[in-house]
Amino acid sequence: METTDLNLFVRTSEETISDWNREKIVDALIRETFIDLDTATEISKEVEGMIRKSGVKVVTAPLIRELVNAKLIEKGLEDARRKHTRLGMPIYDVDSLILHPNKENANVPHGPEATNLTLAERIKKEYALLSVFSLDVADAHMNGDIHLHDLGFVDRPYCSGQSLEYIKKFGLNLPHSLSMAKPAKHPEVLLAHLIKFAAALQSNFAGAIGWDAVNIFFAPYLEGMSDEEVKQLAQMLVFEFSQQAVARGGQAIFSDINLYWEVPKHFVDTPAIGPSGKFTGKTYGDYEKEAQRFVWKLFEVYKEGDGSGRPFFFPKPLVHITEKFFKTEGNMDFLYHICDVAADKGNTYFVFDRGETAKISECCRLSFKLEEKDLLDAKQPWRMRYCALQNVSINLPRIAYAAKKDDTKLFNLLGERFLLAVKAHKQKRAFLEKLLSLGENGPLSLLTMNRDGMPYLRFNRASHLIGMVGLNEMVQVHTGEELHESKRALKFGLKIIAHMKLLTEKMEKQEGIKVVLEQTPAESTSYRFAKLDLHHFSPLSARVIKGDISTGEVYYTNSTHLNIKSHINPIERVTNEGIFHPLIEAGSISHIWLGESHPTKEAIADFVLKTFKYTTNDQIAFSPEFTICNRCGKTFRGLHEFCPSPTCHSYDVDGITRITGYFTKISGWNKGKLGELKDRYRNGEYFSKKMLVANE
Amino acid sequence: MSIKDRLPVKGFIETSFIDWKGYLSSVLFTGGCNFRCPYCHNPDLVLNPDTLEDVPHGYIFSTLRKYKVWVERVVITGGEPTIHKNLKNFIKRLKKEGFLIKLDTNGSNPYVLKDLVEDKLIDYVAMDVKGPIDRYSRWCGVEIDTERIRESINFLLEGHVDYEFRMTVVPFLHQEEDVYDVAQDIKNAERFNIQDFKSIKNILDNTYSSVKPFPEEMMKRIRRKATEIVKGNTDPALKIEGE
Repeated sequence: METTDLNLFVRTSEETISDWNREKIVDALIRETFIDLDTATEISKEVEGMIRKSGVKVVTAPLIRELVNAKLIEKGLEDARRKHTRLGMPIYDVDSLILHPNKENANVPHGPEATNLTLAERIKKEYALLSVFSLDVADAHMNGDIHLHDLGFVDRPYCSGQSLEYIKKFGLNLPHSLSMAKPAKHPEVLLAHLIKFAAALQSNFAGAIGWDAVNIFFAPYLEGMSDEEVKQLAQMLVFEFSQQAVARGGQAIFSDINLYWEVPKHFVDTPAIGPSGKFTGKTYGDYEKEAQRFVWKLFEVYKEGDGSGRPFFFPKPLVHITEKFFKTEGNMDFLYHICDVAADKGNTYFVFDRGETAKISECCRLSFKLEEKDLLDAKQPWRMRYCALQNVSINLPRIAYAAKKDDTKLFNLLGERFLLAVKAHKQKRAFLEKLLSLGENGPLSLLTMNRDGMPYLRFNRASHLIGMVGLNEMVQVHTGEELHESKRALKFGLKIIAHMKLLTEKMEKQEGIKVVLEQTPAESTSYRFAKLDLHHFSPLSARVIKGDISTGEVYYTNSTHLNIKSHINPIERVTNEGIFHPLIEAGSISHIWLGESHPTKEAIADFVLKTFKYTTNDQIAFSPEFTICNRCGKTFRGLHEFCPSPTCHSYDVDGITRITGYFTKISGWNKGKLGELKDRYRNGEYFSKKMLVANE
Repeated sequence: MSIKDRLPVKGFIETSFIDWKGYLSSVLFTGGCNFRCPYCHNPDLVLNPDTLEDVPHGYIFSTLRKYKVWVERVVITGGEPTIHKNLKNFIKRLKKEGFLIKLDTNGSNPYVLKDLVEDKLIDYVAMDVKGPIDRYSRWCGVEIDTERIRESINFLLEGHVDYEFRMTVVPFLHQEEDVYDVAQDIKNAERFNIQDFKSIKNILDNTYSSVKPFPEEMMKRIRRKATEIVKGNTDPALKIEGE
């Protein structure tokens, strides 16, 4: 039978309706797979026969492709079928996606832009698992042994740390942009460049964009400005970042600003860049007062909150406390000032840079320790651009289920999963290298732009993150006790993380790439792992998984954290969680949940100073909770079912609190996180006068 | 010392951020109280202290020692700590270990208070004034010799020790004017801390568990005016602006 005999039309993917042409099947098979012409022709004929027999008059191209795939399977041509896969989504899924909000990432609002993002992510995720990663890596991700983060952004690096100096020196001169801006002359213009560059970077990275020493690098522009003008600038900075909800997928730019009271040692003698990108002839050490003025005003803005008194979600202010802080004039006043914001709005992150380490922090927890060669960069801070290519998390409790309390087995399995994670890193690295090699005409042109003798993204300096989820539950399964329940359990947890740290060092030597441990933010990963393990490892898993199994609101404890529900004295929490922090180079944090209680700034300052002095904890944040009434627009402390205002009582309220590492509305949380929120122990007895008595 | 003679500590918070303004502190709750304030938030502690287990003193002292570099302040609250004979011995032991002590009291035992302060055993006193002194039984739920309250107030006003007065404003129980009357009673005090009533499930007189606090704006006004009165600046009767 000749193909033209068939009175059949095909709805193609190019929005045309064309006549049936069997040869197109053959062409596609030859182009996309490695099978031979005869087999391809045979398959095309068989498929044609099937369609003819069915009697339909119009078929779609995707349907033909699936029929071809079915034939490939019949013939045992599995590899060819994989290559011939069509990526896409069922109409039912697209329908519900367009209608209902995305719960995977609370930072994504609901709207057409967000839907576009989700659709693209879904396809890129499938693409990544079929095409970027090998089968064993993809399978390990699918079954939940490991988690490859941000697969929907597989064609970008993970997160990055930036220096304002780059745009101060080179202006805003991005590849393929319609206009080029020279270095800023005025602080407002510098601010505009900063925001635009952050937005451009957001579309080239999967995660957070962090900015180093923002108040210090702004300082040369602030000379001669009145306090009111500096405050105005601070307001513009915070509002501009927090209202950038028109960027990628309608997401706010996940942004951090790193701030200092003191000018840290590594910048004291650095020549300062001022208006028009010119060196001012002074060093940053000379701008201490201006830098302090700016950071003070920034925190005044955080204290006031937005137009209706709500806390700002972004940019997250990370205040670094170095040894020099204690010798810098006005330090206690500043500490009280930022502790006031911590108690009232919760924004402040306290980052402890003890001894001689210098760090800049990104993302939920990720921070970069500056090494010797970086400190040389500190003389030319525009070179200080850091990134992590990918983040892979290991499902720790699952290893414990399989090890059946056998130490050797446990460490052996941990090593296997670790190697798998490194393999995933190498595959992503190779893929990105391919994209970057296309240079300024390739997809990642922004990252290849070369203004200072090297590409913007310093690929050879990039790190590869390995995270962990559920150390607490792993130890619970293996030793019978949770981390907080005994010294023995805590020690065993430490042994696990120390072993992982050792593996990173081995990998670095063996593979020549920088592998570092990170506390996974695990917004959806801890939920995903728990859900999968509940299914595959019951009843063992059901005994340790946290949350409420009956409602499906389940989770594993994040990274190396202690049980979030148990009544752990905050001193014990920061001390015992802090013992892991020196091993986790890419950054860690301890959260102290405040609930609705409102401690004094002095007590918080006392706690912060002692945490610096008596623990090895790297970073702490205090997290209050808020309720916003959508009717009367007021903001209240604590989570309430309805508006607490006596004149309102509306049920149209949103709860706000920190989710893993940033503030967001609770209605956008996924099920696992909701379970965690219910469990979250709010230190109620430490913060409120109401006593919890034994028989209650 | 027999078990019976021990200070009955029924609750122990190792680290509190709010009970001693400006500092981290540990908090000890003693069982039993000579008042029956209807809006009391710790009714079990007041009504049935014997049904609550004692926190062993050994545990308290070892824990306090363990956290001493972090927390060197201890708040003793209740119930009412001054009704216990062995309070003084207990505080002496704490002082010997170098802790600073804050006492929360309702002021019904001025002699105990004076004795502790004169022996330099107390570093800070927070005294609850439940309402205007002339109608005290209405606020504290028992008949009481109000001269003793006055004596405690006057003793603190003399300034032998750092102190504050506190009042919890409870809608339906208190009128706005009651706060100003209290402010008059404690005129020239160093600090007057006016607290919002918070409704919770477990309250001594359960009718109060559904009472909502006064609106924020009203509490702001009350605080402002009361502070003025304590400072001796204004006569509230003369000056009620259009607020």
